[in-house]
Amino acid sequence: MPLVIFVDDSETALASTRMVTNSMPIEVKQYTEAQVALAEIQAGMTPDLIITDLNMPVMNGFEFLEELRKVPATKRTPCLMLTTETKAELKQKGKALGLTGWIVKPFNPAQLKQAITRVLRLT
Amino acid sequence: MENKTNMFSSISELLSHIKEVEQETIQISQDSMLMLSSFIEKNSIELDESAAKGLQYQDIISQQLTSTIEAIDSVQKAIEIYQNAYNSDEKIASNSIEKLHVKLSSTLQIAKDRKDAFSGKLGHEDETDEIEFF
Repeated sequence: MPLVIFVDDSETALASTRMVTNSMPIEVKQYTEAQVALAEIQAGMTPDLIITDLNMPVMNGFEFLEELRKVPATKRTPCLMLTTETKAELKQKGKALGLTGWIVKPFNPAQLKQAITRVLRLT
Repeated sequence: MENKTNMFSSISELLSHIKEVEQETIQISQDSMLMLSSFIEKNSIELDESAAKGLQYQDIISQQLTSTIEAIDSVQKAIEIYQNAYNSDEKIASNSIEKLHVKLSSTLQIAKDRKDAFSGKLGHEDETDEIEFF
């Protein structure tokens, strides 16, 4: 099963994504700290899709994305930003960093499932 | 002179109290949502659109309150700097009150910007549920 990792400092946000994706044919791993997820990726974990929040303490979503692109295994791994931010300049920055897409919170469960399905080509 | 510093101390104490209430509110709202989500998961209840949004509002509440706590920290720091200046020299104090005013205005603007940044689709009814792909 494809591995999807979620990174968000909010435990309730992670609970929401977990409940929405638990019926999907994917393996899910969740992290409240981007640096912990990054360490596991650097140690050999190879996710098929990364969904991350932007505003997080210690390492934010953009910093996480920049570090991911330095790791050969995740240089081209699809990455979606799941955030409350809606500013066009932030979306542009994400796009420039190689982001696959932008999801604004609160997300619609059906749309999130569709996005994961589309990126992983599950159908 | 003493009245003025007492007034600032009272404001700062009041702000500390507000901050404490906000921190407790963040924790309670998170605990409450985690209890609810644990029940939903245990009973394999599928989330519909409104339930999923309801759960996610806690994240937005938490971010909003955290940004006001940061604003309070900034105001308290500015008050402390002013009080130190006032206690050392009244001439410096008149200059410092201007700086305090500028700092408070800037803190207010940052707090307003963050309110907008942390609202997501709330208050942006024109935002669709469509996910933007690049």
